[in-house]
Amino acid sequence: MTTNDSSPAGDLGPEMATIEKELERFPSAVLEKYTAAYSELENRLRPQDLLDWANHALAIAGKAVRSWEAAAEYLEASPAVQRQLPSGQFIRWAAIGGRLCEDSPSLAVSFFKASPDALTRLRPRYVDDWANLGRALYRGTWKSSNLACHFYEISPQLLESLTFAEFTRFGESLQVLSRRSYDLADECLVKAARLFPRLGEDRDAFITVSHDLAEHSWREVKSLYDSASTSLTALEPAYRARLLMIARRLIAVEQTAIGEFFAGASNAVNHVPTEFRQRLLELAEEPLASSPSSVNLLITQAPNILDRLSPSQFEEWHREGMRAIAESPESGPAFYRLESARSRESLDQLSSGVELNRVKDLLRTYCSALSARDIEVNATSTIVDKKIGWVDEQSATTEGTTIYLPPVADRFPQKDENFGWYKVIATHQSCHIEFGSFEFDFDTPSTLFEDLRPQMKPAAKVATDVSAVVAELAEAAIPGISVPEAQEEEGGIETAYLTDMGRFFDMFTDRTLGLDIFTVVEDTRLDSRILHEYRGLAASYLQTQEFSLRERPRIEGLPMREAMIEFIVRLSLRQTGSIKVPKDFTDIAQQIRRLVNMLSEIGATVEDSAEVATRIYAMIADVPNNTIPEEEFEDVDLDDDIPDEDEEENTDEILQMFGGEGESAGEETGEAAETDEQEQIDEESYDSPEDVDYRGEFKPEMAQLLSQISMDSADFDGEPEPITQEQLEELLKNSTELEQGEMEEGEEGQQQQMDEMLENLMKEMQQRDPDNQQFGDGPLVHVPEEGGPLEATEPKTFVYPEWDFRANDYKPKWCVVHEKEMAEGEPQFYQDTLNEHSALVREIHRQFELVMPEMFRKVKRLEDGEEFDLDAVIESVIDRRTGTTPSDKVFWRRNKVERDVAVAFLLDMSASTAEAIDENKRPTDDWGAPDDPVEYMVWLRSRRAEGLRRSYKRIVDIEKEGIILLTSALEQTGDMYGIYGFSGYGRENVEFYVIKEMEERWSPSIPKRVDRIAPLHATRMGPAIRHATSKLTQVDAKSRILFMISDGRPQDRGYSREGVEKEYAVHDTRVAFDEARKEGVTPFCLTVDKNGHDYLKTMMQDMSYEVLSDITMLPTRLPQLYRELTQA
Amino acid sequence: MTTTEYREYRVEEYTVAEEPFYAPLSDEIDIFTAAYQQRLPILLKGPTGVGKTRFVEYMAWKLSQPLSVVQDGTKAPASNNGESAIPLVTVACHEDMTASDLIGRYLLDADGTRWVDGPLTRAVKVGGICYLDEIVEARKDTTVIIHPLTDHRRMLTIDKLGQVVEAADGFLMVVSYNPGYQNALKDLKHSTRQRFVALEFDFPPPEVEMEIIKHEADVDSEIAEQLAKLGDKIRNLRDHGLAEGSSTRVLIYAARLIKQGVAPRRACQVAVTWGITDDEQMQRSVDEVVTTIFA
Repeated sequence: MTTNDSSPAGDLGPEMATIEKELERFPSAVLEKYTAAYSELENRLRPQDLLDWANHALAIAGKAVRSWEAAAEYLEASPAVQRQLPSGQFIRWAAIGGRLCEDSPSLAVSFFKASPDALTRLRPRYVDDWANLGRALYRGTWKSSNLACHFYEISPQLLESLTFAEFTRFGESLQVLSRRSYDLADECLVKAARLFPRLGEDRDAFITVSHDLAEHSWREVKSLYDSASTSLTALEPAYRARLLMIARRLIAVEQTAIGEFFAGASNAVNHVPTEFRQRLLELAEEPLASSPSSVNLLITQAPNILDRLSPSQFEEWHREGMRAIAESPESGPAFYRLESARSRESLDQLSSGVELNRVKDLLRTYCSALSARDIEVNATSTIVDKKIGWVDEQSATTEGTTIYLPPVADRFPQKDENFGWYKVIATHQSCHIEFGSFEFDFDTPSTLFEDLRPQMKPAAKVATDVSAVVAELAEAAIPGISVPEAQEEEGGIETAYLTDMGRFFDMFTDRTLGLDIFTVVEDTRLDSRILHEYRGLAASYLQTQEFSLRERPRIEGLPMREAMIEFIVRLSLRQTGSIKVPKDFTDIAQQIRRLVNMLSEIGATVEDSAEVATRIYAMIADVPNNTIPEEEFEDVDLDDDIPDEDEEENTDEILQMFGGEGESAGEETGEAAETDEQEQIDEESYDSPEDVDYRGEFKPEMAQLLSQISMDSADFDGEPEPITQEQLEELLKNSTELEQGEMEEGEEGQQQQMDEMLENLMKEMQQRDPDNQQFGDGPLVHVPEEGGPLEATEPKTFVYPEWDFRANDYKPKWCVVHEKEMAEGEPQFYQDTLNEHSALVREIHRQFELVMPEMFRKVKRLEDGEEFDLDAVIESVIDRRTGTTPSDKVFWRRNKVERDVAVAFLLDMSASTAEAIDENKRPTDDWGAPDDPVEYMVWLRSRRAEGLRRSYKRIVDIEKEGIILLTSALEQTGDMYGIYGFSGYGRENVEFYVIKEMEERWSPSIPKRVDRIAPLHATRMGPAIRHATSKLTQVDAKSRILFMISDGRPQDRGYSREGVEKEYAVHDTRVAFDEARKEGVTPFCLTVDKNGHDYLKTMMQDMSYEVLSDITMLPTRLPQLYRELTQA
Repeated sequence: MTTTEYREYRVEEYTVAEEPFYAPLSDEIDIFTAAYQQRLPILLKGPTGVGKTRFVEYMAWKLSQPLSVVQDGTKAPASNNGESAIPLVTVACHEDMTASDLIGRYLLDADGTRWVDGPLTRAVKVGGICYLDEIVEARKDTTVIIHPLTDHRRMLTIDKLGQVVEAADGFLMVVSYNPGYQNALKDLKHSTRQRFVALEFDFPPPEVEMEIIKHEADVDSEIAEQLAKLGDKIRNLRDHGLAEGSSTRVLIYAARLIKQGVAPRRACQVAVTWGITDDEQMQRSVDEVVTTIFA
């Protein structure tokens, strides 16, 4: 040991001095660092080593122009490194760095810089290997040097979480990658450093995967790192290892979208029940060999499938999938993607859940039968999406015409139980309609009670139903209350009630409480009624009630007022035995029980419910909403006989609750009580009771509002007062039925929500107005003509391609046809037409009679035929015997040409058909609709309004007359026929109105629908023809005819190129007719456009058409044409 | 010698002996009686199975009864002895029916021909009620022969015989048809239609229908009530793809099956559901209504 020599350099002093001198050639930093390091090392190294060390520094510095920087780093790192390496190794380290410097000084810089940190985690013997790993990444280019440097820099970080073996393999995988792309390798390096610490024990497996992947499909590696850092890390280690193992095997069979796999699979695994996760991954390995592409799908679909199936059913389903794969490996992916019928069937069979879509039609018919009304059944999401006040997708509800049910019923293990559940909730909703929940009339007397409603006064704001109410109020004014002047400012008339329900709820100071009571009371009435009327349902209904009862919250935990409400809910669910209520209110509870019980009377009406609600409200509203100790609750015995109403009901007392509180009212609800009594200051805010699940949501006020609109406009006489936006806003503010989802904080947020809801509601009401029904299911949406293909997303919509004659090709999925049933109007027009043309009708009938009967029945009494007509023969013999001249017409023959015709009439309902047929009276505004949909509506309305006053006949009227005359004759022939109208605005809004479907039987509705044929928008013939063709091809008939009646050339917004080439529309129409012909449909076009000859020649080519020179000839000509056409 | 298992009547001698059960819907009995007193022909409109035929039978019986009520508790057998009873001749019309089928025809026999009166001629001669069921089914040229019988002339022309028969005093023409087929082909000609006093029949309200079912099938009120309810609900589906509602007749059939011990749900299925429609979806819907009503 010579390290303790007094002269540190010992004998080597001169040499050291030379080195020092040499180093002066380089930038001063080198020498500074040298000196600093020297002073540290001189005592720690043997002189020889020290010399070597110094020599290395010199060598490094001199290797290349910039290598002095490497030297500086070398010197800087040396003391730290020396502490970790035995001296031999230390010099080796220097030598390795020196070699690196030969290749690239910057490599050496990074190496040295990283060394002190790296070496704390690296065994000395691996230094060489480490250096080589980095070195291997360097291939002389700038990018490669960057990568290698980066590798060194990050090494300490990597080594923190990796063993050296892992580290080596990672380095190798980087090499593989770097051969493809340095950038990619570099990115992965960075990501890896962040990822590895989070992978726990699975680093090794992951590195293997990444290595394999780099070899198989290097491009996927980046996404692997990307997704691994979010997905794998979120997974529990046990599943992670398994997933990695699967991944390796996938790579081996060239399934290389591993990043995607990890992302999807991790997410999926985390979304299946914990106890099934391991099993799922086990199952996922099964198709690895036979159908590797199914593996990912199996895992990612699992959460979906498990929504419908139990784990054991899932395995069953998977078995079926494996069987499918065994039969044909290609079928795997489709099976697991649920795209094969086999898979769906198996799923359906297994899942006990009932999907609404499968039973929707059934329930619709069922509910229509029960309620005697035309009821629609739809998923709850459809009404929630409308954003008009309904928010809960799990609760059944109705707005009076449609019953909304949750999308799946799966609360029971058996399918029929689940269907039974649907039946129960659908019946409940349907009975709201059947038993008149929404027909509440404020002024209709109840059947069981003394009516309090007429004497009640509105709570907060005295609605001024014009003068009457005001006067009444003034008269009945309780001292101290004068009719508030303020109302005058609000403008009396606007606050007239929109609905009777609203008027009723306005009587309650606390509307929420009022609604809650009314809801449970009305539901009680319904339930009793249902159990009485529908005994077949009773068993499952009672079971459902029992079920719901079990779910109720503990009554003792509720504040008193809520407890009282809960008491009623439990009563309504037929709890037996006893129910606890706050002990101060047991008398009230018994009284409530008596009232509620009265509603099980069969004749009880919704007005009775209202009266009961009123009375209960009067009893409960003053109950403080305090939580009280459990001991304060006392049982109310439900087996007791219901106490007789021993004393006269004190109606005054009840009435005091209504209007009497007017003093303090006028602020927000609920505040009134606060000012009254001090003890209520610490009262808890009142919460509505939990919904009874099978009863769903009950929104009588909204339902009345919505159904009122459709009814108002249905009776035609006199325009109904249009509902103003202000009125609606008022309703929305007051109504407690509207849950606005998560209430947004702050006034502004609420206002915004309110506005949105208001807008939606206006939209909804406009749609419900039958006068507006033509405007389709939503606002017209502009789809640019340049845009791409469209999808038929809504029911009853169809997409069709369009022919672009310039491109000489179809534009796929270009037009959306919206099919709608025509609304019903008045039958008057139909009758008038038949009367007006009675002569013509007879004529047509005779003509048809002449041709038709013999064509399809056995023809008797012929001179020649297939066989003797026995009757005729006998008659003939008898005639001979009796001496009269016998007839020789004694044969019959069956006419072989059985008439088998299906015809679709396609009526042009474009705006231009509004033109008067008499040129002089032609309205001034010609076809020139504004382009903007909003303006267009205004324009259209004005046109329609004009139409109402017209005294002249329009083209469309003539069309209607023709079709009426023809149908009356068609009924005679037994031909199958459909009547359709078309119009539209833009390719996304081709409207196709069904006046009569091909298979539909004639009914009194048909004339009413004919009445509604009216000029609408533009003429996009192509899609209408295609749609009519598809209808024709669905019926079974020997000859199929497409009979179009139009008033001019096809035109529509964008039904041209650059809006000028009229040929575009004409060509598309021609192609559409051609397609029809290929389908075996005979097209025929009848037009009343005098200029029709020019374009019809192009449009129809060799197909038949006719141009009527005199439009008034149409009713005469149409039946003739039809006869000629069908007699072929 | 041996007792025959059946009873045989000549068509013009059939009278309704026992009082048929009939639950009036409104004033149809009075109207019919008044029309009969005035010998005004009667047209009965209504869907199948509402009781048109039963009504005619009932009226034939009722009009045969002496006007004065029997005084001493004992039923006067005279009322049914054929003297005062009004014969009821029923003809079901079909599309191949010819005029001869109503009026009569010559038949061949060994050495010549023999004339046989048709049912209509017989009714005219004996002064009975001639009931042409589903008249629209008959061809229009057939129906015109009843025209002279349905106005002031009250006579029947038998052109083959070169005869005119004046109707006996008791004769009345009653026809029925089902306007359910709203089809131009199956409609009465106006010239025919306007010769009749028209009585419209629709399904009885549930309370009445319940009584009918109860009586006809001898079931208890609850079953009868539930069946009536079922009928009512099913009729709501007439606008939803069901051609005709369930008739009172099928409800009675169901009731009878129940009476025989068939489970109510099953009885309704075989007697009602499967009878009214072949559409599976509709059958399921109706089945659900059945299970809702019957336990």
